[in-house]
Amino acid sequence: MEFSSEGGETQIPHVVDMTTSEKVVDLLNQAALIPTDEKLTVLKQVQELIINKDPSLLDNFLDEMIAFQTDKSIEVKKFVIGFIEEACKRDNELLLRLIANLNMLLKDESVNVVKKAILTLTQMYKLTLQWLVRSKVVSEMQEACWDLVTQMKEDVLALLDSENDGVRTHSIKFTESLIIALSPRTSDSDVPKRQEGDISLDKVPKDHSYIRYDVLCEEGKTALEKLLKFMVHPAISSINLTTALGSLATIARQRPMFMSEVVQAYETLHANLPPTLAKSQVSSVRKNLKLHLVAVLKHPCSLEFQGQISTLLLDLGMPQNEITRSTPVPREPRKRPRHEQYTEGKKVKMEPTLIEDDEDKEEPAPLSVPKPAALPVAQSAIDLTAEFLHPLLNPENVANLVLISMVYLPDVMPASFQATYTPVESAGTDAQIKHLARLMATQMTAAGIGPGLEQCKAREDEAGKEEGNEDDSVAKDLLIKRKVPAVMLGQAISVVGGYAEKPPSPETPTTVKRLPEPILPTAQTKMTGASGRKKVFRLSDVIQPLSDTQIEKLTSKAVKRILHSEKAIAQSGVSHVRVKLLSRLVTQFEGMMKEDVLEFILEDIRTRSDLAFSLLYQEYNTYLSQLPTGLLDSYDHCLYTMLSGLQEKPEQRDGLFTKLVLEAPIITESALEVIRRYCEDESRVYLGMTTLKELIIKRPSRQFQYLHVLLDLSSHEKEKVRTTALAFLKRMYEKDQLRDYIEKFALNYMQLLVHPNPPSLLFGADKDTEVAAPWTEETVRQCLFLYLSLLPLNHRLVHELASVYTEAIADIKRSVLRAIEQPIRGMGMNSPELLLLVENCPKGAETLVTRCLHILTDKVPPSPELVERVRDLYHKRVPDVRFLIPVINGLEKNEVIQALPKLIKLNPIVVKEVFNRLLGTQHSEGSSSVSPLTPGDLLIALHNIDSTKCDMKSIIKATNLCFGEKNVYTSEVLAVVMQQLMEQNPLPMLLMRTVIQSLTMYPRLGGFVMNILSRLIMKQVWKYPKVWEGFVKCCQRTKPQSFSVLLQLPPAQLTSVFERCPEMREPLLQHVHSFTPHQQAHIPSSIMAVLEANKKPEPKPVEPVVEKEIEPVAATPTSVFREASSAALMEPQIPTHQDPAVLNDERPMEQEESDPVIQEENINIVSQVELARMSKTPSPEPEPAEEPMETSQPEQSDFKEAEKDIEADLTGPVDGSGSEDIE
Amino acid sequence: MPSHPLRVAVVCSSNQNRSMEAHNILSKRGFDVRSFGTGSHVKLPGPAPDKPNVYDFKTTYEQMYNDLVRKDKELYTQNGILHMLDRNKRIKSKPERFQNCKDKFDLVITCEERVYDQVLEDLNSREQETLQPVHVINVDIQDNHEEATLGAFLICELCQCIQHTDDMENEIDELLQEFEEKSNRPFLHTVCFY
Repeated sequence: MEFSSEGGETQIPHVVDMTTSEKVVDLLNQAALIPTDEKLTVLKQVQELIINKDPSLLDNFLDEMIAFQTDKSIEVKKFVIGFIEEACKRDNELLLRLIANLNMLLKDESVNVVKKAILTLTQMYKLTLQWLVRSKVVSEMQEACWDLVTQMKEDVLALLDSENDGVRTHSIKFTESLIIALSPRTSDSDVPKRQEGDISLDKVPKDHSYIRYDVLCEEGKTALEKLLKFMVHPAISSINLTTALGSLATIARQRPMFMSEVVQAYETLHANLPPTLAKSQVSSVRKNLKLHLVAVLKHPCSLEFQGQISTLLLDLGMPQNEITRSTPVPREPRKRPRHEQYTEGKKVKMEPTLIEDDEDKEEPAPLSVPKPAALPVAQSAIDLTAEFLHPLLNPENVANLVLISMVYLPDVMPASFQATYTPVESAGTDAQIKHLARLMATQMTAAGIGPGLEQCKAREDEAGKEEGNEDDSVAKDLLIKRKVPAVMLGQAISVVGGYAEKPPSPETPTTVKRLPEPILPTAQTKMTGASGRKKVFRLSDVIQPLSDTQIEKLTSKAVKRILHSEKAIAQSGVSHVRVKLLSRLVTQFEGMMKEDVLEFILEDIRTRSDLAFSLLYQEYNTYLSQLPTGLLDSYDHCLYTMLSGLQEKPEQRDGLFTKLVLEAPIITESALEVIRRYCEDESRVYLGMTTLKELIIKRPSRQFQYLHVLLDLSSHEKEKVRTTALAFLKRMYEKDQLRDYIEKFALNYMQLLVHPNPPSLLFGADKDTEVAAPWTEETVRQCLFLYLSLLPLNHRLVHELASVYTEAIADIKRSVLRAIEQPIRGMGMNSPELLLLVENCPKGAETLVTRCLHILTDKVPPSPELVERVRDLYHKRVPDVRFLIPVINGLEKNEVIQALPKLIKLNPIVVKEVFNRLLGTQHSEGSSSVSPLTPGDLLIALHNIDSTKCDMKSIIKATNLCFGEKNVYTSEVLAVVMQQLMEQNPLPMLLMRTVIQSLTMYPRLGGFVMNILSRLIMKQVWKYPKVWEGFVKCCQRTKPQSFSVLLQLPPAQLTSVFERCPEMREPLLQHVHSFTPHQQAHIPSSIMAVLEANKKPEPKPVEPVVEKEIEPVAATPTSVFREASSAALMEPQIPTHQDPAVLNDERPMEQEESDPVIQEENINIVSQVELARMSKTPSPEPEPAEEPMETSQPEQSDFKEAEKDIEADLTGPVDGSGSEDIE
Repeated sequence: MPSHPLRVAVVCSSNQNRSMEAHNILSKRGFDVRSFGTGSHVKLPGPAPDKPNVYDFKTTYEQMYNDLVRKDKELYTQNGILHMLDRNKRIKSKPERFQNCKDKFDLVITCEERVYDQVLEDLNSREQETLQPVHVINVDIQDNHEEATLGAFLICELCQCIQHTDDMENEIDELLQEFEEKSNRPFLHTVCFY
């Protein structure tokens, strides 16, 4: 073969003159270089030239043409297939060379090529068979060729189970054609004109040297079985089903011997439409079924099945008249058996009893044997069952059946039912009952039950026995085989790939012979050069190493397939293998695969935990195997991803996280970080920390690492996290091996407080806080949380706090004091360590200790031990009176009195607290503490404070506090106090103040006060200037009640009184004038003189007038009193009601009359003094006298309000507002 | 994608309205398309429902056009028949009967169930030769101008989808299911063989 290497443009003119051969060469040359479309045109030209125009060239150019089967283009490949067909048709001998190429193309990766190859094989099979049948002598080559064709036929049959719908469709058509070829054509066969010359079984000689008639016959039947079985697959696609229906119709018409099977298959299908079909598909299928049924019905051999077919057609909605129109007129049916050559099969089916009559010599034994045995079985089984059922279908039974089946009805009407339902018109008629019986019989037979089936089986067995001896083994096998599909058919079981078909002919020595080999194309580029020279095939020439990306893609796809075949594998029960496979694969290869698998696991980790663990262990194993240089990175990544995935998933209640953590061989840093994050999630903090706890306990080698995480969390900003962590830590603190670590951590953390600024450690990494940020309450607490929760468990720790406290700055101290309340209270005042702290009280920790004392004694009275310690501390080391306050009720009376001056000098709030403690007004329980001082004692003690030790202002404030407690200081208590104070010598400076205060609080004490006043006169009250001042003031406020007292004063003192308040004189004088003369006589003249002092310029003469004037007015002393009281209304603070019921009220009256003697004695002295004073001090105002008290107020009283109060108190008796305050 | 362009046939009753509308659109979109009718005659609306204009398949669109212009130009302009015929004659000269066409197609789309039945009957009555499959799909379209246009677009979309499948035979089932759902109308579908 010469290939011109000329350029394209010069070729064209030459073509005209070229010989056919040259032309072909030229075209082939072109074809190698041009694009697909043109290539096809060119190749078609070549085909035309070498097949039709000059077939002698065919052989020459065969190899070159076939070489195009490796073309990339699918169309070119398909063309080559077509070429093979044409070439073989032209020259059968070429089959020997080309059949192997077709076989190669049959296994092409493109489905379109495969489909084309199947189509071609349909022809080629018949062609080969025909060719071989014609050859009288069959060469070894031919035998091998037939073997290959047979094998290809099997391959195509197997493609009924292909995954591709189109391939299956083609395979069905191939099967159809095969069945027709491998069964005898009979006189009643429809023969399409085109296929008249086609081979069929009847043309195969029974004595052929290589082709076995019986084998082929069996193969044909097997193919039919396959097709029937395929059709009842429940998940058959609508197109496949349509195709199969058409094929069956073709088979029935071309091979009426199979009509029985076909009609039965239609019946079964009609009753059991595949559930997978959609509604419109059901309509399509039914339409097809109708069409094909009509086609079958039109065939003259349908006579026996007309009943069945027309029932089906009626069901499918075909009007009866149309059915009748399609039904052929029976044309002398009885004659047929005699007329026609190949009616045995048919006849036998219809009339099994005729077997014996079969005298046809031409009919070979092997063919006739299986038919009578096999074919009637299914047929009559249904018939028998139907007959059996028919009488049973009475109304009662049917009603029961309907009721029973109601239960099994689906909720939704299936599409197939909806599409097929037609109202039953002929209900109740015998025909309809028969039809119903038949329908049920079909179902029952399909399900393998019913009397018909049993009878048939029995008969079959008998037949088998009878004929067993006569027949060869093949026939026997067949008998058994035939039974299987009968059951299979109805049960609609799909046996995917499970079809263990025997090789069609055991005799075929396939193994010995070499099958034909395909023409192996040389690479197209070489075509121009070495023509005809065959190249040795070397694998390395035709394969190319895959690129890295390709490899990666392929591997990852492979892994993905394994990954996603989860369910399928689980169903087959080898999940563990898959898991193992996956984990091994994934750990061995780097790349995306790992991510994919992890992602896959995380999608549903609950059910995929097996895989998760397997993967994790595998990673660890890899690490171990690479020790000591191995890296944990991969393992770490795996663990980290899974844990993070779980952590980020909301709502995981099944503890998978815990399981994963606890079962992981190693917890890496990043994994620990995830655990930490998990713990920080408030909703899962408990689970997280439980996990952490388990880790700490069960992994001792790294327990401190885990513990550290927990410790870190103990100062977490979220309260729930913190408290949970603290709770866990407290429990762990009880474990000896962890105790030190926890303690150390807590102390270290607390130690941070000595820094002037909070260390950055306290702030999470995410918070960009400046290092110099000041301490806040929060940061201080952060340092203390753990410590404080440990403190009640280990009291010894308290000393550490003290030492830190002394070093800390004031802000921190305050925060600490606030924070310690709970734990200190938890320790209790009996804690030896706490007592020790009090005893030692480090310098600088006084406030801390005081705070502790306060906390301890806040609710309960101090214990003697505590008091003892405090007392010691106070006396021996730190004489700060504030220590005493918390334990004040535990001290002795004299100790309290001794401390009193210091105490009242403290901050008013503190003083108030002290008094609360002393007066027992602090505790709500009230009586629990027994104060060493009674309220009276306290007030007296206050009066007796040495003014050198304490300023008067503080004392006054202190007494005011007492008066504030009206519940404690009742009138009785105050009376006792006044009584006692009055008896003291010298008189306490604040005596009169207290008296006035008491009187203001309890006006009914008026009488008692008068008594006091009288007795003060006896004690020469004027010798105490302050008291005297108060005395006058008191008299002033209690007039006119105090008049009798005033009259008891010696004249000098009375003068002094009038000097201070001149306005008193006149009322007093009038008071005296109101006396009876007898009474007046008792008043010494000196007194009178003082009284009338102002009237000296106009003495006696006026007097009687005045007296007379007054006398009638003041006729009775009561009227005077009344006047006085009405006058007193001007000053509201003076008591207005004179309650005679008060016992003290009586006394002044008695005294009034008994005391004048004493008064007289003193008058002179007093008046002298007073006179002297008058000249000295021009202002009789009481205020200046009190001023010194005010100026001497202690610096300590820093509360202005308190000052105001105090001032108000002092001025109160004068302007009246003070009394209101007190009240 | 299939290696060769789909050979499509659109079939209605008279090869006038529905099939021609689809023919028009499909050919504009580059499909290898032909159109047919399955009726025994070509029928066009007449002055009354019971008086249609009946032609045989040999009559060209041109002749029909002229005939109708002669009969009642106004009526046939008004009901759009003339316009339709005018369009048709620019696509091909005369209507074709499906039963008389022996060419092979990959896809036959029918426009009503009766036509589908006739196509099926015809295809099944032919003698099988190459066993090449042809898919027959019925898309119900009412025989008026508006529905014909809408139907043509639906057919066009369907064809485009089928054309774009990797493996038509394997995917067509699913594709049709999707289309049924989308267009909310059932499609009859079957396969026949040449």
